[in-house]
Amino acid sequence: MPPPLQAHRMLLSHRRASPIPRRRFTAVSSLSSAPAKTLAPGPPASSILSIRESLLSGERTAADITSEYLSRLRRTEPSLRSFIHVAAAAAEREAEELDRRIASGGRDAVGPLAGVLVGVKDNLCTASMPSTGGSRILDGFQPAYDATAVRRLREAGAIVVGKTNLDEFGMGSTTEGSGFQVTTNPWDDSRVPGGSSGGSASAVSARQCVVSLGSDTGGSVRQPASFCGVVGLKPTYGRVSRFGLMAYASSLDVVGCFGSSVFDTATILSVIAGHDKMDSTSSSHDVPDYRSDLASLSLLESKPLNNVRIGIIQETLGEGVDAGVISSIRSAASHLEQLGSVVEEVSMPSFSLGLPAYYILASSEASSNLSRYDGIRYGQQVSADDLNEMYGDSRANGLGHEVKMRILMGTYALSAGYYDAYYKRAQQVRTLVKKSFEEALGKYDILISPAAPSAAYKIGMVLSAHL
Amino acid sequence: STRWSLLRRRPLSSSPNAAPTVGPGPLEPPDLPRLANSARISLSPQEAEEFAPKIQQVVDWFGQLQAVDLESIEPSLRADTAAGSSLREDKAEPFANRDAIIEALPSYDDPYIKVPNALTKE
Repeated sequence: MPPPLQAHRMLLSHRRASPIPRRRFTAVSSLSSAPAKTLAPGPPASSILSIRESLLSGERTAADITSEYLSRLRRTEPSLRSFIHVAAAAAEREAEELDRRIASGGRDAVGPLAGVLVGVKDNLCTASMPSTGGSRILDGFQPAYDATAVRRLREAGAIVVGKTNLDEFGMGSTTEGSGFQVTTNPWDDSRVPGGSSGGSASAVSARQCVVSLGSDTGGSVRQPASFCGVVGLKPTYGRVSRFGLMAYASSLDVVGCFGSSVFDTATILSVIAGHDKMDSTSSSHDVPDYRSDLASLSLLESKPLNNVRIGIIQETLGEGVDAGVISSIRSAASHLEQLGSVVEEVSMPSFSLGLPAYYILASSEASSNLSRYDGIRYGQQVSADDLNEMYGDSRANGLGHEVKMRILMGTYALSAGYYDAYYKRAQQVRTLVKKSFEEALGKYDILISPAAPSAAYKIGMVLSAHL
Repeated sequence: STRWSLLRRRPLSSSPNAAPTVGPGPLEPPDLPRLANSARISLSPQEAEEFAPKIQQVVDWFGQLQAVDLESIEPSLRADTAAGSSLREDKAEPFANRDAIIEALPSYDDPYIKVPNALTKE
């Protein structure tokens, strides 16, 4: 049985009691064993571990688990519409294949993600399934390769159950910008799941799959996670390979993940993170085992966050933020204080400049990245008498309104002579924002803010999603 | 905003391709038909009319960045990814799934990708 839908008390990173010089928070665990057996009794905090235990003990088969998720998926899809493509038959086949391998090979056949059903955002290429990027211009397109993140999940034994809905090419924050369908929020079907990774968030929230992959350029994993009440993780740029992620803004895009628990999300990150020669921007920094820093609540001292200094970014609790959101953050801050930390407000005045700078950078880079959708090598082609007309008409026909807006914006910002005024200036503002974060993180171990200024909007409320 | 109206001056050159001066000089407001042409997106005159004010609005909003003092601030060009050389060995590696690439082509006449006339009188 999947864990119930309520929010879990998270597993917290454990910190040594002895004083450590103040620096960016890195959890040091004195626990040597794998977390599996140290979880507190009660509903499992990790669906991945629960599936793993069922398979290893023989209590359940992969086919049975897959069938349970697929049946729930089918039941809820007419209302949710999380998926652009569902690969039910392939999932069932893979589950049966896994059961055969377990029967003959035992433990060795059970990889870290064996039997775990994954939803993949449709801007991540999957060789065996259509990949539309949420756009009509790629209707019917099937990539020639898997994105690295997808390949790594598959190699760990995960079963890709389908491609989830998104705002076209990642541009939007409600999933209403999809060229195909609007996904609803599992908690209230009159509301959006958020975006652009709305389908990935709703699918995990409704337990249509165990975990999912998304992408985050300007909040597209964090905000839908918040709207759907699941854990969403945006890794540091370069931590996960972007190979196979349809590029929106190359200096900002990251592949992220969703889970119903912090442990599951940490597990996914451990599997997908790491250097990839196919992505020249991927990081060569070592990948820690993210799960080994997570400890069971029952094993922690009463004030596990002693000596941890936490800063709440003042500007994110100001004007325009819902009273309910502010009150939630303040309650969370109280809770963190009870756990031993010191929580203070910190002002970051350059924060507000981040948004226009982001928008200039993202639209500029998008105008370049999306020039490849020309109707020639893949996707939908509109016939014409000359090549430029074919480009123009194919793009006009296949690309949605918001995408066109941003391409035109970016084309403007990058016009001859405007580089200094817009793109370069935005990159300089980026340095300012970066410096102010570095300064704040010199004083605080962790900075917190709400993931969104409100709870999920009503469908149709955000009429023109410019930003 | 008032700053924008001060900047709305005629450029010295009437050629559409003249690079406008920046800083205290004029930044031309967005010319939708020209932008759509650069971006290779066919826009009907009606659509161009629809997009123009929206784009103008966003450009005005960008204006707040003009006011920031960025003297001696370096642009953030690269993230710290501890990448040594990001170049791979210069050795050709055949791609395993050419068939799928060919399958995806809308107009293919082996071995040519077919396109209409590329030479137009402009």
